[in-house]
Amino acid sequence: MQVFHIRYRNAQGTLMRILNAVSRRGLDLTSVHAEYAGQDHAVTLLLQVTPKQAGQLYREWYAIVDVTEVRSSPVTREHADAAWAPHPPASAGVPEQSARAALA
Amino acid sequence: MLKGAEIVLQCVRAEGVDLVFGYPGGAIMPLYDALEGSGVRHVLTRHEQGAVFAAEGYARVTGKVGVAMATSGPGATNLVTGIADAKMDSVPLVCITGQVRTAMIGTDAFQETDVFGVTLSLTKWSRLVRTIDEIPEVVAEGFHWARSGRPGPVLIDIPTDILKAKKEFSGPVKFTPHARPADAKAEGAFSDTIVALLQRATRPVALVGAGAKLSGAVPQLRQLLDDLNIPTFATVHGLGAVPPQSPYYLGMVGMHGTRAANTALHETDLLLVFGARLDDRVTGDPTRFAPHAKIVHFEIDPAQLDRVRACELPVIGNLADTIPAFHAELRRASLPDWSGWRAVACGPERAELDPRGLAQPTIRFLDELFSRLPQDNVIIADVGQHQMWAAQRYRSSSPRGFVTSGGLGAMGFALPAAVGVQLAKPETCVLCVSGDGGFQMNIQELATVHRLGLPIKMVIVDNKYLGMVRQWQQLFYARNYAETDLSDNPDFVEIAKAYKIHGWRLNEAAMAEYPVSAETGDLLENFLRSPEPELLVFDCAPEANVYPMVPAGAALSEMVYEDE
Repeated sequence: MQVFHIRYRNAQGTLMRILNAVSRRGLDLTSVHAEYAGQDHAVTLLLQVTPKQAGQLYREWYAIVDVTEVRSSPVTREHADAAWAPHPPASAGVPEQSARAALA
Repeated sequence: MLKGAEIVLQCVRAEGVDLVFGYPGGAIMPLYDALEGSGVRHVLTRHEQGAVFAAEGYARVTGKVGVAMATSGPGATNLVTGIADAKMDSVPLVCITGQVRTAMIGTDAFQETDVFGVTLSLTKWSRLVRTIDEIPEVVAEGFHWARSGRPGPVLIDIPTDILKAKKEFSGPVKFTPHARPADAKAEGAFSDTIVALLQRATRPVALVGAGAKLSGAVPQLRQLLDDLNIPTFATVHGLGAVPPQSPYYLGMVGMHGTRAANTALHETDLLLVFGARLDDRVTGDPTRFAPHAKIVHFEIDPAQLDRVRACELPVIGNLADTIPAFHAELRRASLPDWSGWRAVACGPERAELDPRGLAQPTIRFLDELFSRLPQDNVIIADVGQHQMWAAQRYRSSSPRGFVTSGGLGAMGFALPAAVGVQLAKPETCVLCVSGDGGFQMNIQELATVHRLGLPIKMVIVDNKYLGMVRQWQQLFYARNYAETDLSDNPDFVEIAKAYKIHGWRLNEAAMAEYPVSAETGDLLENFLRSPEPELLVFDCAPEANVYPMVPAGAALSEMVYEDE
């Protein structure tokens, strides 16, 4: 497993292009976390990749117009735990009335 | 006050565009309504795929950005193959699509498709315009990304209500890009390293790809190659970048490349790659590609490095910058004597065999046709056996003189692309070579050819099969010709007649005499010299195969030369 940190300008489709570079290789997106990072955005991906795939991903991400930086780091326990967190129930966090309205 | 549609056209015009290709429809109607008086000429094709291939043809021969327009929904999705083709072959392309009105987006409205999402992996950049205010910046940025770095396709999707909206317009704007990590350029020291590698090499070779012509660096590259004087070959998109009469030039390399080129590439200990992406059609089995070689890879797009084989030294940048820097260093260096290697690699023992077998008449036909072309010509090939034969027999020194769908291999490319090429070069003889399968995929563009009176010379190499697939079925699927039989083709000459285009017929018997008879010669001359569009159908052997061939999964050293 490897963790990739990608900074990007949050223009239309940039995050999707970043994720697409992974999915087009048939790789699973084990964990994805995107958030503000100063004036840019940042996405952290946890991926199971070979060194060759990592190199290809680096180069493809850098080729995306609005990507500004790509780094990788070792997997920490925090990443590993997050990867195995149970999927929340479908209605978690949704007010009960809204859920009823959706089912009406 | 201007409408959004008028602003779009003014901004497109400001990018130097005076010709667009397209097909109207509901959502994009406001843009068509604004065409008159805009200074932008619109060419109506008969299918949106025809429009985008025509825009590509225009862009491929000029280096300018090609522009295609289509409406929402099916109009937009019909552009997808052309967008993919432009991505694979690095063609600067801007596609403008209409979209349903903003309030309806996401409701599965009539003729709504998420073309932005559909083309995300195929475009270099794309935008769904959200307000009329965004239009100038979006158009400027779109054109910038289409033409900069490694050229490629962009998509601008504009809801119909925004095309109809109005605002005060102060004029087009310029786009200033942020610096990007991918813009990093190779340091000057790369030249020293390459020279050092050359000084240790005993069997160096050079491979030239599309980047040579895209960079505009063909003259500099030719001077460098003349000084290097090492065996050199080209990909299908590099054809014409090196004059074929150069004593060190070995022709096309790869799956249907020449014996000399493939053998030299297999034997080399140092491979200099100039603007080629080492596609699998070039490498054969990547695990056995150039097994003895260190690779120096001159490339503008870092994403193309180390894809199939790690390189010793990447040289990232535009060839227009990196070649002069390298050449300057090379001129100061003393290099080994490679005359022995050249004598072997370029020697008569490895010369191409004369055409033989079932393909001989077709190859003679192409040789005869090509030899009679005026000097100012462009050949467009569709996809299939005829494409490979045409590439193998191409002998011109024009870097943008051979146009084909290489990376994507999109059948139906040639006829509409020829429309774009002829409009870009009205005085040039444009020869469009297709197979009977591919020609039918965009046959409706005969209407465009006729309406515009484009004097395109269209050739159909008619073997009544989906020929290249049939060849693979013969060689690898025990002749199980599943769904490749096109023996019930229509009479193409009669179809051309229905489109008010004159048609000619020729068959293999005409190639039995070589040189050809006076009658055949006159037919070919009349065909080529006509000021009108013309169609020539050449009937050829159904089971002729393209050789040499490197079977899929084989190494370049494992060429097959003839039917067993």
